[in-house]
Amino acid sequence: MVKKSISIIILILCLGLIISGCPKKTVVKEEPSVKKEEPARLQAEREAERAAKEAREKELAKIKEEEAKKAREKEFEKSLVAKKTPGIEGEVLESKMLKDIHFDFDKYDIRPGDAEILKENAALLMKYPNVKIQIEGHCDERGTVEYNLALGERRANSTKRYLVSLGISGDRISTISYGEERPLDPGHNEEAWTKNRRAHTVILSK
Amino acid sequence: MKYILFLVLILFFIFPPSVRARVYLDITSPTFVQIPIVLPKWKSVGKTSPALSKKVYEILANDLTISGFFKVIDYQHLPTHLQGKEGIPNTPSTEEWMPAGGEILLAGETFLEPTGLNLSLKFHLFDLVEQKHLVGKQYEGQLQNLRNMVHRMADEVILQLTGERGVHNTKIAYAALQGEGKEIFIADFDGANVKQMTQNHSINLSPVWSPDNKRIAFTSYLRRNPDLYLIDIDGKNFQRFASFPGLNASPSWSPDGKKIALMMGMEGKTEIFLLDANGDNPKKLTKSHGNEASPRWSPDGQWIAFVSDRSGSPQIYIMANDGSNIRRLTYEGNYNTNPSWSPKGDLIAFCGRTEGRFEIFTISPEGSGLQRLTSKSGNNESPCWSPDGRYIAFSSTRTGSSKTFIMNANGFNQRTLVPSSKGGESSPAWSRRFE
Repeated sequence: MVKKSISIIILILCLGLIISGCPKKTVVKEEPSVKKEEPARLQAEREAERAAKEAREKELAKIKEEEAKKAREKEFEKSLVAKKTPGIEGEVLESKMLKDIHFDFDKYDIRPGDAEILKENAALLMKYPNVKIQIEGHCDERGTVEYNLALGERRANSTKRYLVSLGISGDRISTISYGEERPLDPGHNEEAWTKNRRAHTVILSK
Repeated sequence: MKYILFLVLILFFIFPPSVRARVYLDITSPTFVQIPIVLPKWKSVGKTSPALSKKVYEILANDLTISGFFKVIDYQHLPTHLQGKEGIPNTPSTEEWMPAGGEILLAGETFLEPTGLNLSLKFHLFDLVEQKHLVGKQYEGQLQNLRNMVHRMADEVILQLTGERGVHNTKIAYAALQGEGKEIFIADFDGANVKQMTQNHSINLSPVWSPDNKRIAFTSYLRRNPDLYLIDIDGKNFQRFASFPGLNASPSWSPDGKKIALMMGMEGKTEIFLLDANGDNPKKLTKSHGNEASPRWSPDGQWIAFVSDRSGSPQIYIMANDGSNIRRLTYEGNYNTNPSWSPKGDLIAFCGRTEGRFEIFTISPEGSGLQRLTSKSGNNESPCWSPDGRYIAFSSTRTGSSKTFIMNANGFNQRTLVPSSKGGESSPAWSRRFE
C-alpha cells in the first residue's frame, strides 16, 4: 500500500518536471532563427576577430612555453654533474632530475609509486631526444654475489622496458648490472638495504 | 712350484700389498674424533740453525692443526722430561711416550747444507699404541721452497693416516675490497702468501681456476661492462676474453678445460651459455622465463648445476652439458643459490636461506641427504670444494665484514683463511694441487 502511493508521487513529480522543461526547449529552438537574420558581413568580422585573438594567444603561449623550456633546460643543464669512477672506463653525467626507483627484496617488478617516477623521467627524456642513458641495476648485500648480478640485470631491464612502453626509444637506453657491488648506503640494516635496491640512471651522452 | 711363485708375483702386481696397515681416521664418516698426534721438538742437524727447525716445526704443526684431522700435542705441552727430547727416536717405547697422551708420534729433523741453499727435511711416523714404525721420508729442495716442502710432508702424513693425500699445496682465489674497488687475490691453503692478482681499481669478481692451475678467469668492469678476463697466476697475459653486451659473469671451466660455462645477459634477463676455451662460439643452454645464474660443472663434465628462478624463487637445477634433461634439485626454502659440485661427484654444496640467514648446505645430486653445515653465525655464501672433497671454502659475515672461511666437509673445524684479513671478501675458488 505504502509502496504504491510512493510510486504515484514519483510519477507525478516526473510529469511536473517534463511539463516545466518544455517552455525552455522552445526558447533554445528559436536561437538559430535569430542568427539567420544576422547579416553575413557581421559574422565574417566576428570570425576574423576571433581568429586574430586565437593567434595572439597561441603566440603568447608559444613564447611562454619557450621561456619555460629554456628555464627547464637551464635547470637540467645545471643539474648535470660529471661522474668518473676509478677502474671504470669513461665518464658519465648524473642529474637529480632523473630519479632512482626502488625494489622489494629479490623482486624486479616496478611498484606503482615508482611507475610515477619513471613517467617523470620519461617526460624529461622526451624533451631531450639526444640524451642517451644507461640504467644501472643494483641490489642489497643480502643474497649471493652472482645471483645479485642476475637480479640487477633484471631490474635494469624492467626499468628500461617501462621507459620504452612510455615511448622512449630502446636504442637510447643501455643497461648494466652492478649486483651488490655499489651500495648507496654501506650499512647492514633494513634502512640501508631499502636504499640500495635501486635502478639508477646515468647519462652517457647528450 | 714355479707356477705358484709366478702367480704370487702376478698377484703382487695386481694387488700390491697395502703400504698402510690401517686407516686411522675415516674422514668420510659424518663425525670423527681427531687423532692425538705428538710432535716432539724438531732437530737441527750439524750447523743448521735452531730457528730454521723451529720454522719447519711451526708450519708443520699448523698444517696438521688446520687439516682438522688431528689434535696436535706440541712439545711445549709435553711433560717436562719429554720437552727436551728432539729428533727422531730409534723406536719410541710406549712407556716413555704414554704420558704425552698421543696415539701417533711425528718426529723429524732439518739439515741445511753449508752453502745455505739446499734443504733436507726428514720425518718418521710411529704408532704409539701398537708401538711400531709407520713410515719415514726425506725431502730435498731449495731453502726458498721451504713452505712447499713442509706442506708436502704434511700431505704425506695425512695420506699415511687417513688414506688420502692432504691439500696443503693448493691455493684459494677470492675477490676482496681494496680502496674503492674490488680486486682478485690468491692465498695458500694455510692462509700464507697472500698475493694481489689485479691492481686496476675496478670491480673484479668471481675468480675461477683453469683446470691446469695456470690461469684465473674473472669478471671485471674495466670497460664499463661486466666482461670476462683471464690472467696467468704469475700476473702475466692479462686479457679480455668475453665481452658480449650485458653480463659476462660467473664463469666455470669444464673439467677438460675445453669449455667455459657462464651467465650472460640476453633479452633483459640472464641465461647460461657455453663458450669455447678461446671465448668463441657462444651457445645458449637455457631457455626459460626466469633468470639463470652460477653454472658449475660436474666432475665428469657431463652435467651442469645452476641457479634458476623460473619457479618464482631462486633454486638449484641440474642439466646435461647440452642443456637437455633439466631437473630441479632443491625444494626446501625459497632462496637456494651458488651450487658447487664435489670433486668426487657425490655431493653438491650450495647457499640456502633459512630463518632469515644464508647458510651452507650439501645435498646429493639426486636430491637426498640434505645437510646443513653452518648455523647461526652470520651469513654464509659461495661454497666451493677442495680438490680432495674434504674441505669447503665459503665466505661468511660472522666476524663482521665478509671473510673467506674453510671448514671440513662435515661442517667441523671452521676457520678464517687469512686471519689478518680486513674483510670485504667474496667468491672463494679452490685450485687443484700444485705438484
